[in-house]
This record gives sequence, C-alpha cells and structure tokens, in this order.
Amino acid sequence: MENTRLSKHTVSFGMALALASVVNGLLVVAKEKSPAVLAGMRRLTGHHWITHSVLVLGLFALGGWVFARAGGGRGIKLTASRLIGILAAGVATGGLIILGFYLIGD
Amino acid sequence: MNELILMTHVLFGVGCLITTVWVFVETLNASETNRQRIRKMSAAAAWFMWLAFVIAGYWYVTSYRADKAVILKGPWPFAHSFFMGSKEHLVIMLLMLATYLPITAAGNLAANQDQRRVVLWVSGLMVLLTLLTEGDGAIIAMGVKVGLPAKLP
Repeated sequence: MENTRLSKHTVSFGMALALASVVNGLLVVAKEKSPAVLAGMRRLTGHHWITHSVLVLGLFALGGWVFARAGGGRGIKLTASRLIGILAAGVATGGLIILGFYLIGD
Repeated sequence: MNELILMTHVLFGVGCLITTVWVFVETLNASETNRQRIRKMSAAAAWFMWLAFVIAGYWYVTSYRADKAVILKGPWPFAHSFFMGSKEHLVIMLLMLATYLPITAAGNLAANQDQRRVVLWVSGLMVLLTLLTEGDGAIIAMGVKVGLPAKLP
C-alpha cells in the first residue's frame, strides 16, 4: 500500500511559496503606484529590485520555517490536492497581478 | 563582458529548464532505481536557477539602464514597460519554485503517490514559467536590437 502523507516541509514551504507569490505581486503594485514605497525600497539596498527580491525570498524562507513549526512542531496537515490547489492558486494569482498590472495598470 | 554575462544567464536558464523537464519525466516513472537521479536533478535545477538569477540580477542592477534607454527610444518600448517589468518579478516566483523542487523531491517518490503529484505540479509550473521568462528575454533583446537603428542620425 502506498504512503500518501506529504512531508512536513513540502506542506510548509508550499504554503509559504503561495503566500510569497501573492505578496510578490502586491509589492509590485505598491512600489509602482507609490513613489514613497519605491524610494524606501531603493534606500534599503540601493536598488528597488534587490529589496523586492530579499523581502519576497525572506518571506518564503520565514514562512516555510514558521509553518513547519505549527502544531507543536509537527507542521500543518494538508492533503496533496489541497496543497496543490493552494500552490497553483498562489502562483497564478501572483503571476496575474504582475502581468495584469504591467498590461493595463502601469 | 556584458554579452558574456547575458549569454551565461540564458545558459543557466536553459540548464534549469532541461533539468526540470528531466525531473518531470523521471517522476512520471519514479522507482527505487531513479530515486537518487531525481534528487540530483532537482538540486541541479535549483542551482542553475540561482546562478541564472544572481548573474542576471547583477547585470540588471549594474548595466540594464543603457539598454532600457535604447528600448524606450525605439519602436518597441513595450519590451521594457511590459516584458522586462513582468520578467524581473515573475522570475522571483520561478526562483522560489526551483528552491522548493528539491524539498518536494526529497521523499520516497516511488512509494508516495501524493508526493509525486506535488513534484509533477511544481516542475510543470517551473517549465511554464521558464519558457515564459526565456520568451520575455528574447523580446527584451529584440527591443534593444530594433531600437539601435533609431539612435542613428
């Protein structure tokens, strides 16, 4: 009989990836629409894109670490279908925010 | 030097694409015999993507300004305003997926159908995003090319 349990880090980093993807898209809109946000991001590292990358990748790493510690260190329990749905929805939402913004919002 | 940087980043991007397709196909046929190969190829995909990202990021931060000016004065300003704008941010999601791939491939895929499904989805999303960003890169390069004659008197 097959084992169907997903590993703790597969779930935790999958959820973190979905979250960070949406934040990635929202951060694009925030910095492109607000000169103050863009200037602040430039000031932090010298270039807005470096700050953007560090923030999103940091959220991915931190989110994966935090989600793995939920449930007393056992992590969050999700079925594969649920995780794949969250992952695909997160990546699609983040991607559509970015493409949509540069297509019609910029 | 700039040309070398640009070609190297494309090379590593293609390396990521090839190893990711490799992982996808091997996962469809996961067994004890290809277990180590899937792990190695998923790690290679992540390394290729990190190298492509760091090299392209260095070029984008230090050298893109000149190309951007050419593109914006040329007949294809959308090569910057849409394609570069979206590429520089979509690629962050691709980098996260590439980093996530070895995590999903670390388990026993031969014995775990659900873990296999996650690897297939992650590698499938990576292939789509890699092709999209490679296409973006080609349009950006073409935007510079068609913009250069416009600078001549």
